Amino acid sequence: MRRNQRQLYRGLLFLLALVLSYCLSHAGPPSTVAQAQSRVFVNQATAQFDGPEGPVTVTSNETRVGEDIVPLSIVKTADRAAAEPGDVVVYRLLVTNPSSRAATPLTITDQLPRGLIYVPDSVQTTPLQPTQQVTTDSSLTLTFPSLEPGASVSIAYGVLITPDAVRGDGRNVAQASAPGFAPVSAPFQLTIRPGIVSDCGTILGRVFVDKNFDGQQQPGEPGVPNAVVFMDDGNRILTDPDGLFSLANVLPGYRVGTLDLYSLPGYTLAPNLYRIEDNSASRFVRLSPGGLGRMNFAVTPTFGEEQS
Amino acid sequence: MKQQWWIGYGAVALTVPGLALTVPPAVGQSALAGYSVRVTSAGDGPVQPDEGLTLREAVELANGTLTPEQLSEAEQAFVQPLPTGQGSRIGFDLPAGQTTIALVDLLPEIIAPELVIDGTTQAGYDASAGLDPKFPPAPVVSLTVAEGSEVARGLTIAADGVTVRGLSLYGFRTSDRATQTTPPADIFISALAPPVDSSPLSPALELFRIEDAEAAPRGVVIEQNWLGLPPDGEFPAVPSAFGVSVFNAVETTIRNNRIQNHDGSAIITGFRADGLQVSENAIIGNGLAGMPDAIRLEGAIASSAITDNLICANDGSGIYLFKTEGATQITGNAIQYNGRRFERAAVYLMGNDHQLSDNFIGYQPGPGVAVTAYPLSLRNQIRGNRYAGLDGLSIDLNTQGNTGVQDFQKGDGPNPPRNSYHRRRETGNAAINSPEFDAYSFASGAAEVTLTGTADPGTEVDLYRIAEEGFPYSPLSESLGTVTASPEGTFSASLALPPGTRVSAIASDPEWGTSEPAPVAAVLAADGTLPDLPATPVELPTCAAPVPPPAPVEPPPPLEPLVLTVPRNIHFALDRSDISPESAVILDQIAAVMLEYPFLTVELHGHTDPRASAAYNLALSERRSLAARNYLVRQGVPPERMRIVPFGETQRRSQGSGRVEYARDRRVEFVFTDLRGLDIIFQDQEADLQLE
Repeated sequence: MRRNQRQLYRGLLFLLALVLSYCLSHAGPPSTVAQAQSRVFVNQATAQFDGPEGPVTVTSNETRVGEDIVPLSIVKTADRAAAEPGDVVVYRLLVTNPSSRAATPLTITDQLPRGLIYVPDSVQTTPLQPTQQVTTDSSLTLTFPSLEPGASVSIAYGVLITPDAVRGDGRNVAQASAPGFAPVSAPFQLTIRPGIVSDCGTILGRVFVDKNFDGQQQPGEPGVPNAVVFMDDGNRILTDPDGLFSLANVLPGYRVGTLDLYSLPGYTLAPNLYRIEDNSASRFVRLSPGGLGRMNFAVTPTFGEEQS
Repeated sequence: MKQQWWIGYGAVALTVPGLALTVPPAVGQSALAGYSVRVTSAGDGPVQPDEGLTLREAVELANGTLTPEQLSEAEQAFVQPLPTGQGSRIGFDLPAGQTTIALVDLLPEIIAPELVIDGTTQAGYDASAGLDPKFPPAPVVSLTVAEGSEVARGLTIAADGVTVRGLSLYGFRTSDRATQTTPPADIFISALAPPVDSSPLSPALELFRIEDAEAAPRGVVIEQNWLGLPPDGEFPAVPSAFGVSVFNAVETTIRNNRIQNHDGSAIITGFRADGLQVSENAIIGNGLAGMPDAIRLEGAIASSAITDNLICANDGSGIYLFKTEGATQITGNAIQYNGRRFERAAVYLMGNDHQLSDNFIGYQPGPGVAVTAYPLSLRNQIRGNRYAGLDGLSIDLNTQGNTGVQDFQKGDGPNPPRNSYHRRRETGNAAINSPEFDAYSFASGAAEVTLTGTADPGTEVDLYRIAEEGFPYSPLSESLGTVTASPEGTFSASLALPPGTRVSAIASDPEWGTSEPAPVAAVLAADGTLPDLPATPVELPTCAAPVPPPAPVEPPPPLEPLVLTVPRNIHFALDRSDISPESAVILDQIAAVMLEYPFLTVELHGHTDPRASAAYNLALSERRSLAARNYLVRQGVPPERMRIVPFGETQRRSQGSGRVEYARDRRVEFVFTDLRGLDIIFQDQEADLQLE
């Protein structure tokens, strides 16, 4: 027993010696690994070739590995959050160089979503002026010679919303890049409302007691409250105390509504003595995009309610 | 030049006769010759000279569309000209046993003013048989529809001063067809009645002249008829759709008729019914499968009156005013046992200035009188009525602009006191406050008890005795007198009331109308206890016609304890609500028991099996109860003794999901009430089980 204890002590001492020796060896001057982290490796390529006028040497830009570069910052805003076709949205970009190096050259790209186009000649930049500007319908590229450390450039431009925009997502991304800097981007989400090109229609109607059987409501023909009208898509509509109802945001196309006779006990559909078509139990409306449809139901006191 | 003049004269000469021809007979009313005509043939068909004079020929004679010369000599003998200016008279001289005129087509519209169609002239009419003006003696001549034919209207009246007396009209309705039809009726009163439907065969229709009040027939009288039931009083094989449809007429009088068994309303107004007088009619068991209200008023009803009628056992309200214009007066009616199918108010008021007084309103599965909040209805005076057996308030004013489904049927219950002037704009009778007693109980003094409370300043407070217990808004059963609230809004009344009496009150103001009743207060004995008053036996009213006083008979021997066996359910096929022959046998047993013991009342509980949606099953169970009810009505069971209670799939009979279990679920149960000590064994039977 005692012998075992002695062996255990010996083992512990050995372990202690190991740990001490390790600590001493690492408490010395900084290691070479730590030095490598703060060192900047500058890399530049040079190419030589024999031109017609003798040897030419071209030098690439410098790439720097290991340098702790503060990235560029880019902020994108617009003058509105939602727009409809026909609107002009003014976007503003602010690109800042917070690093200690100049961004040379600085390239700014803006990509527009479907249906948005640039307003020609609307780009304004301060304080720098671009050396190159390439505009297509859906993208804008500006190149500035250099952005000094701590400096900013502000860019404003107008964008026109076309009816196509309703089908796009309204998300637009601007990107700033410069050699030696990681590219940065800023999105902006614009809500596109259909506005004037909305294709939803409205259905109006009334349920009333028809006294002269012409399908139209005249004085002396009161509306029936709490009558239920069912639409082909399952919408259930209740008439107001005057027998009127309206249904907004109806998809255009052929729409059918019918009166739930169970909701107005004692009444049934009135015959229409003037128009055969209006004797139907349902109303069929061709709702044009953004249009207005009408579903009038004339009712009259009934008898002999169906007994199945 | 001269030639041109001649041409001109010729043109004038040609057009004048043409003009004279185009003047319709209705305009040249004074020119119509009057005849006294006796109808001697019960046949119907095209007008032709033959042996007997038919009603169709008589009407055409009166209308001036047929001249006596076009008749056979035999027929001419039944036509006597009357002095000019006198309206025609159509009497009846039908051979005995052939007094049922079965129409094969619509009779021509009556355009002869002052025409009298008098069924009491027929031999065999016993004018003295009527014991009660509400129940006229049974007519002898009946007007109905030939078997296999379809006739929408019995009589169509478009002329002033027409009188229809002593006829029985029934069986007028239309069947389903490509388009809906205009509402059929036993008697349809309108200037220029609309065609029945819009089929290509219907006459071409010019625009209605319903806006022109001058064209509306004035002063039509409908009296001493039986509408909707044949002279033997049985339920007709084909029920009529509506009774009297006052579609567009002024100063119509409907008196002393018995109007029964219609699918729709007994009396319905359409566009204009100003000056309508409905008095001393018995209106029983209407609205069976359509517009459920006994008297349905729509359109213009200014200065109309509904007085001294018996309105009993109809399926909806007794009187329902739907968006009417003008005021009506409802006085002296007995409105009871209505709401058999729809739980509606006994009287539902829309509009202003209606007056309800001296009526008895009772035994209704809803409030007594409901006043709508929309369209805003004001100044409705509801005073001096007696109420009993209601399922709701005696007077219910809808408040807060309530316009839900229930609000247009049953009202919305007691209102809170008015807390803002704006309540007046959204409450029936402008939110007049109900009176409030200062306490729920008042100690009686030596001889009198002094009741105090608050009410709107200056209102007249009618105090009522309450006969029924239990509910803080029990029906107002008997008026105790009226006091006027002080300008400060307090009232006080000293009355000699026995301790144990319970009282309530309503307030009326000529500017606003009548309020809802106050919560009940009790009169305590001097020692502060509430003694039980001896219950006064209530003789339940019925809808039955008065019977001659029976000859005195020896008192029957004391009843032995009777033991009866009655089946309590019938079964149905899957998704069906028609009565199978086997079920009819069961129903006949039930009908026999109900006819033997006239005090028995029954609730018809409809049930379905659990398949299909809850809403569909609820409707199906209602149809099943209705089918059973209608069968029993046809067997002669009075409709006021049956109530429809649909349960849908909520209360199954069995647990399983086999064919047999489902068949057991598809049933109508008969729950008898008011047994009066009768010992009845209710038997679950399965003789008519119908498997799918």
